[in-house]
Amino acid sequence: MIRFPLIPVLLVVAGFAAATQDRYLMDVFVLTCLYGTMAVAWNLAAGFTGLLSLGHSLFIGIGAYTVAYGVTAHGLSPWVMLPLAVLIAVVCALAIGVLCFRYGLKGYYFGIATLAFSEIAFFLVSAAVWLGRSDGMMLPAGGDPWISLQFRAKWPYGLMILVVLLATLIAGWALLRAKTGYYWRSIRDNEEAAEALGVPIFGFKLFSFALSAGIVAVCGAFYACYVAFVDPRSVLGVELSIQLLVFSIIGGMGLLWGPLLGAAILIPASELLRIWIGASFYGVNIVLYASLLIGLALFLPQGLGALRWRRRVS
Amino acid sequence: MTALLDVDGIGKSFGGLTALRDVAFQVPQGAIMGIIGPNGAGKTTLFNCISGLMKPDAGRVRFGGREIQGLRPHRICRLGLARTFQIVRPFRGMSVLENVKVAAFARHDRGPAAEAHARAVLADLGMAHMAATDAGILGVAELRRLEIARALATDPQVLLLDEMLAGLTATEAAALCDQIRALRDRGLTILLVEHSVPVVSALCDRAVVLNFGEVLTEGPTAAVLADGRVQDAYLGSAAPCPT
Repeated sequence: MIRFPLIPVLLVVAGFAAATQDRYLMDVFVLTCLYGTMAVAWNLAAGFTGLLSLGHSLFIGIGAYTVAYGVTAHGLSPWVMLPLAVLIAVVCALAIGVLCFRYGLKGYYFGIATLAFSEIAFFLVSAAVWLGRSDGMMLPAGGDPWISLQFRAKWPYGLMILVVLLATLIAGWALLRAKTGYYWRSIRDNEEAAEALGVPIFGFKLFSFALSAGIVAVCGAFYACYVAFVDPRSVLGVELSIQLLVFSIIGGMGLLWGPLLGAAILIPASELLRIWIGASFYGVNIVLYASLLIGLALFLPQGLGALRWRRRVS
Repeated sequence: MTALLDVDGIGKSFGGLTALRDVAFQVPQGAIMGIIGPNGAGKTTLFNCISGLMKPDAGRVRFGGREIQGLRPHRICRLGLARTFQIVRPFRGMSVLENVKVAAFARHDRGPAAEAHARAVLADLGMAHMAATDAGILGVAELRRLEIARALATDPQVLLLDEMLAGLTATEAAALCDQIRALRDRGLTILLVEHSVPVVSALCDRAVVLNFGEVLTEGPTAAVLADGRVQDAYLGSAAPCPT
């Protein structure tokens, strides 16, 4: 039932190959893969385990800020900071998870709790002098690019995020087809029935949430290197969490690669609208983008992925 | 006969309301035992206390000699005591086979082994043809059978069935009764909650009667049903006619 996402994987690799010649295309490719990976990871928790997190920007921000702080304040390589970033994000996710699951927060209540945690982080960081307050932090260029991860060309970034995306898809596929995936989906569909059938729900919810947080922390760390600038608005804001949700809903939350599909349509679409219309009629592109979202949500409530891959109904 | 399940002095209250008080009975190995009683007598609460969904305030539940009260439901399930829910709880986003496979993972860690086990359980219950059907579109009779299939896939020694027959037609109920007898013949011990007296007298070797959270009487089904107090509890005693 859970088939290997061969076609999406091939398309992504082909997309990378096609974009190597053009800096702008490669930028769109990198953003698509970056947001696609984060949305796929978000959906492992939200779409497959029923943990509707509205605060994933917290973990993205932890990834981005850990790297940015290590690089700017101590001159450390992002490679050194990356494991630390993932560790901090996973520990935070476990702590939030233990608190929420211990007290039985489910559904929207869990979403609101996670949102609250990410907003607390947003305001704390906005006030922290050593993290650049709301002005953010600029990562310095220079040094060996494979150590500082500051490249002049775009393709190395494309290659890195491609590897992260493929690893996420393969790991997600391997987990979903095994016991873990079945247990996650049973928890999503009915927690009490799952527990009565031998599913240790507490541990599997924690695993799902922490795994999802760890993957988006990697993406946040990558973001810091790619953009070379982090500020609370771009990596800790609620808009970021909502974006992951939008990509997943539009692409299809019942599919591993649905959120990637959503990102692969909406990110290039918003770029195209900005180029064609945004320059002459500023704002109209945003109106059109919003209309596109509303239309998709109205006419394809199961997401675009559901068009072809409808579940079998006898 | 040895008691496989020993319920010993279970008490449970919600705020000021006492749902169960000092409930005690034993389920012999290989029996079909019925828990009967009027609405609100505490039957489902008792089930929840045995299966771990609720923690009893007092008393002990021994399963195969081991105390299980207060354990989490997934631990109790893995020990070999599986339950179904009166209000069916299918995994609606999954197929029938996948629903049963979730339960089979309690005994098999690897996917192919769990799937083979799940298919065997479905075939056994005559449900193989619905394996690929979406659980979300099943009717209530099929959902009840799915509840049983999932519980069986955890390889239980004791099966707790909570009002499996409520809302079924006579034909559907008769088919399900046959299935329950067949399970007992294969060595399962069955404890069921049932509201309908005819079903209990047709199906159960022994019965416990609960009334207002207490055991009214317990014994072989025919003797229990003949008891005058049981009939009072169900039908009410004749009230004096005002003149």
